Formats: sequence, C-alpha cells, structure tokens
Amino acid sequence: MTDVKKLVEVINLKKYFPIAGGLFQRTKRAVKAVDGISFDIYEGETLGMVGESGCGKSTAGRAILQLHKPTSGQVLYKGRDLTQLSSAELRAQRPDMQMIFQDPYATLNPRHSVRKIVGEPLVINGKMKKGSLELKDRVAELLELVGMNPAYMKRFPHEFSGGQRQRIGIARVLSLNPKFIVCDEPISALDVSIQAQVVNLMQDLQEQFGMAYLFIAHDLSMVKHISHRIVVMYLGKIMEMTDRNTLFDDPLHPYTQSLNSAVPIPNPEIEITRTRFILEGDPPSPANPPSGCVFHTRCPLVTEECITVEPQFREITPGHFVACHLANTTGGSKIFIPDSKKEPS
Amino acid sequence: MSIILQVKDLVTKFYTLDGVVNAVNGVSFELNEGETLAIVGESGSGKSVTMMSLLGLIPMPPGKIESGSASFNSEEGLCDLLQLSPEEMRDIRGGQIGFVFQDPISTLNPILTIGEQISETLIRHKGLSKEQAREQTIKLLSQVGIPDPELRYKAYPFQFSGGMRQRVVIAIAIACTPKIIIADEPTTALDVTVQAQIIELFKELRDALGVAVIWITHDLGVVAGIAERVLVMYGGRPVEIAQVMDIYKDPKHPYTLGLLRALPSLEAKESKRLKSIKGTPPDLLIPFKHCPFASRCDYAFDRCWEEIPPLISVGEQHQAACFFDLEEGGPRHD
Repeated sequence: MTDVKKLVEVINLKKYFPIAGGLFQRTKRAVKAVDGISFDIYEGETLGMVGESGCGKSTAGRAILQLHKPTSGQVLYKGRDLTQLSSAELRAQRPDMQMIFQDPYATLNPRHSVRKIVGEPLVINGKMKKGSLELKDRVAELLELVGMNPAYMKRFPHEFSGGQRQRIGIARVLSLNPKFIVCDEPISALDVSIQAQVVNLMQDLQEQFGMAYLFIAHDLSMVKHISHRIVVMYLGKIMEMTDRNTLFDDPLHPYTQSLNSAVPIPNPEIEITRTRFILEGDPPSPANPPSGCVFHTRCPLVTEECITVEPQFREITPGHFVACHLANTTGGSKIFIPDSKKEPS
Repeated sequence: MSIILQVKDLVTKFYTLDGVVNAVNGVSFELNEGETLAIVGESGSGKSVTMMSLLGLIPMPPGKIESGSASFNSEEGLCDLLQLSPEEMRDIRGGQIGFVFQDPISTLNPILTIGEQISETLIRHKGLSKEQAREQTIKLLSQVGIPDPELRYKAYPFQFSGGMRQRVVIAIAIACTPKIIIADEPTTALDVTVQAQIIELFKELRDALGVAVIWITHDLGVVAGIAERVLVMYGGRPVEIAQVMDIYKDPKHPYTLGLLRALPSLEAKESKRLKSIKGTPPDLLIPFKHCPFASRCDYAFDRCWEEIPPLISVGEQHQAACFFDLEEGGPRHD
C-alpha cells in the first residue's frame, strides 16, 4: 500500500451531540457519537466500516464529509483540511466527495423526474445549462452507466423498484465524477437478489473510474466482499483495523472475534459444527460510555486494567491496528483458538 | 412424527384501488410436531401474508382468503384455521399457536408493564388467577434470560433494549406452552450480536418445550443454523421445499440456486464477483399464466412461458416447481 497515494486522512475526529436539559436547556452531557477516530483512505480503495447500531459509523461518514460539523479533529482531503474551509470553499470541494444513502426513496425528490434528479448536480455546479441537449445526453449516458434504460428519464421515483432507485441515486452521485464516495448502508434496504446487482455495479464503477469508497454497513459478509481494508467500530471508537482477510482469519480484538462468531453462515454444515462465542447483553449507551476500554462491560477477557485505562490504538503487526491491552502477536487477546478453520468441499 | 399443521392450496388476495394483488397463490405445506420449518423469500414473496392468513390477521377488506384449508391438530382435535370464527381464533392465537413478530416495540403495549402483558395471556388462555399468573410470569422471564425478573416485572417496554424486548415477546409466545410458534423475521431488527443471542434462546426453548416453529426470514444465513426443512417462496408460490442440507447442497430450483450464489462468502480468500439474479421481483397485480420466475431465469424455455410449473417430487422429501432439470441440463421429462 506504500506506493498508493493517501486520498483522505482522518485524524482524531470527534463528533459530540449535546444533550440539553433543565430549565434553560443548558448543555448537560454529550453523546459521544464519534470519539477520536483516525485512519487513512487511499486512492481507488474501498475501506469498509462495520459496527452495530449506535456505534457512530454513520455519524463518522457524515462528519468526514462535513455534513455534521466535527467537534474536533481533522479531515484532510488531498492534504487540505476540510474542517478549516469556509462554506464557499467547501462547496467548491463537494463535487469530489459524494454520498450514497441507505434509503434511496428518501433521497429522491418525488416530484422531480429522473432527468431532473440526475442532471441537477451538473446544473447547480454550473457545468451544464438547464434544458440543454448536452445535459440530456449526459443524463442518458449516466443512466446507461448504472444499467438503466435512458428512456426512463421522463419517469418519477415512485415508478421504480428499490434497486432501481438506488441506481438512480448512484447515477446522480456519478454525475460530477467524484473521487471519494461515502456509502452509508447502500444495500441494507434491498432484497438479497438485488443487493448483489448493486454491489457488482459499485465494483464495476470503481474499476472503471478508480474512486475510493468508504463503505459503511452492518452486514459483515458483504463488507468483507467489497472492501480492501476494514475498520471495526464500537461506541464511537475504532476497535480494530486491518485488511479484509486478516480481519476474518486472525482477528485480535475480542469484539471483532465475537462479531465474526455471530455472523450466520449460509451453509448448514458449518453452522452445525462451528464453535461460537456469543456476547452477552447489549451495547451500552453512547451517552454514558463505560470507563477504560468501552468494550470492557461485555468482554470475556476483561482485566483490572481494562476497567480503568483506555487502551491505545496501536499497530501490532504492519497494517494491523488494535485497541486492546491484551493484543499481541502470541494470541493474548484470543477468546478461543479456532478449531483449524475447516471448510468442506 | 405426526403432522400438526397441514396447509393446502391457500390463496389470499387484496382488493386495492390499483387492482387485485395476488399475494398468495396456492401455498401448501405441512409442519410436523416439534420441527422447525423456515419459510424463505424476498419482499413480496407472500411469506408473511401466508402466516397472517393462518393466524386470522389479514385485514378484511381489502384482504380476502379466496380458498384453501389449514388443518391444525389442536388440543380439541382437528380444526380448519381458515374456517374459525374470530372468537374461536382468539382462543387458539396466543394459546396453542404463539407468535413473534419482527418489531418488538410495536408488538408490546407501551402503557402496560411487561409483567401485566405476560400475565394477561396466562389469565386469558389458561384461566389462572392474578397471583398464579404473576408467579408463572416471573418464571417465564427468567426462562427467556431476563435478569432480575421480579424487578423487571414492573418495568415498561421503553425501559428495555431491542433484544430484551424481543425476549419479552418470546416469553408471551411460550407462556401457554403452544404447539406451534410462528416467528416472522424475529431477528431482522436486531444487531448481529443480539441476533445470535435470540437465535440461541429460540433453539434452547424449542428443544426444551418440543414446540414446532415456523421461522419466516429472508436471511439464508440464519436459516442454515436453525431450520430442519426449508420452504422457498417466490411470487406468492412455493418454488422449492426440502431438508435444510439439500436446499444448500443440492438446490433444484434456479431461484434457490440464484439466491445462494448472490451471497458473499465469509470463507473465500479472494473476493469473486457475485452472481446476481437479473431483473426485479414480479408485479403481483398481474395474475401469472406462466412460471413467475421465467423472466429472470437463465434456464427458461418455451414451456416455462406457457404454463405454471407445479411442485413435483425431485428427490427424497424434496419438491421443486420447475420444468428444467438442473442436473441433466435440459427440460425435465414427466
């Protein structure tokens, strides 16, 4: 990865949401939705981000794009700190950085035709004139790119299925040739047979145009499929970050290990024989996170140190980062040694 | 093993302003005592409407059960669930047939304590006194893994997390020792670690109580771990029924095969391109005159466009509704 250029650098990013209370609505506490995360995204790479609901993964995606103003920290895009830009400067930067949302229906204006929806970014950014033939041709080209019939451009969002709406959303995002796209649960609302279509489309587009994705999702198997590297989040912090295969073959953080173990595998032979470790309880509230390591309340390997001292996010082996006191190269943080991952047939 | 529920040719339609929605078009299956049957399908496949028809929960109008029978081997003997009066249905639903839905917060009453809600079931169906019901409820709460059951008896649903709420709903479902539990996407709204907890709890309870379970889901991963038999639905029809191993190892319907191929594998070292199923699910407003999957199927030939394939036996306890023989690579000979 050394010869590849860094596109986005996230440095100690924090986003707190204040909770107001009392007679004068004074800020009493804060929900620490994102609490000091750091990572890089390289050009043309897909970085997967997984975690359970409330872990701050969506907030992180929005804070990176400055859709939520970060509480502190830096986001460098091609070396330029986005958090310090004025709104005009930021707007000039926006075409490069786009977002695909979970619910395609909520992101498409129901009273606009597909032609208007897909073409609007080009008009707003002054690239093409409204109603011009050039614009119409570009919209047709974009629709074809996402596998839709250009003749559909006169239709309205309600006339399409969920998968087609997501394609329309992707066509709109592509209109400005972005270099970096944050995809926030882009396939969670879709049926299994349609999910594969959209994921394939996203991979094809990446091959063709070389943009980087931050792919946020809770479905571990799909994240593994599409990502080059993966970040695991829990209660606003990064627990582990490494490449896709290491995360599944040699996970070091106990949380990653239990996530892996909880994912149902569509193969009855494996499901019946696999040794599972099932976490107890639910994730704590991010408004009142535990002391020390945020995972200590559910961790089976918890020690005195975990309760009081917050673990550092450190590099155990090259490219493999873990926030756990016990993590080392000799299996100190392993919940159990897997029975030699067997895969029949 | 004796059959506890036999559904035959169930047809349910909805008469809407846009036209007639053919939601369920002839579903037949049987459920054995103590067995777990998974019903798998995508949105609009008719899996939930099938179950709501059996439980008498279809709003009528616009819904209408056009035909079919569902013979349930109840404590009072055989009865057809589709012919029961609303009063008779209420005696069975929640008593001999328990159910768990996807979203526990909309299943529970927000202004009653969870203890009251579980007791209510016991008082209504088993005729227990308030005091007996309370005792029984506390036992149930600890059985479904809720800590401090005596304290939690007085708690309200909003004080519980999603996983804990689903445990309460499960406690209600098993309160009257039902013969069947119908679970409609019970873990879909939950996080993956909590989902694993609820699945484990279901397995424990199923084995302890010997209850038959109908598990409705779109998630083939969950099915692999819990089901003994699987029914795959498409366009309001069953397209394949088989033992769980056969569904995954030897699928006989192109749709089942397509679904399995569309899933990414956690085991794979190299990420291969997913094989997606082309096209989109069928429009249920148009009644089928041919195989509902034909337009998306890679193997469709003339006959698939001329008639609807019936479910035929393709192996031991294995049925599929397809004219094409995937093994032979050609049309099936009758």
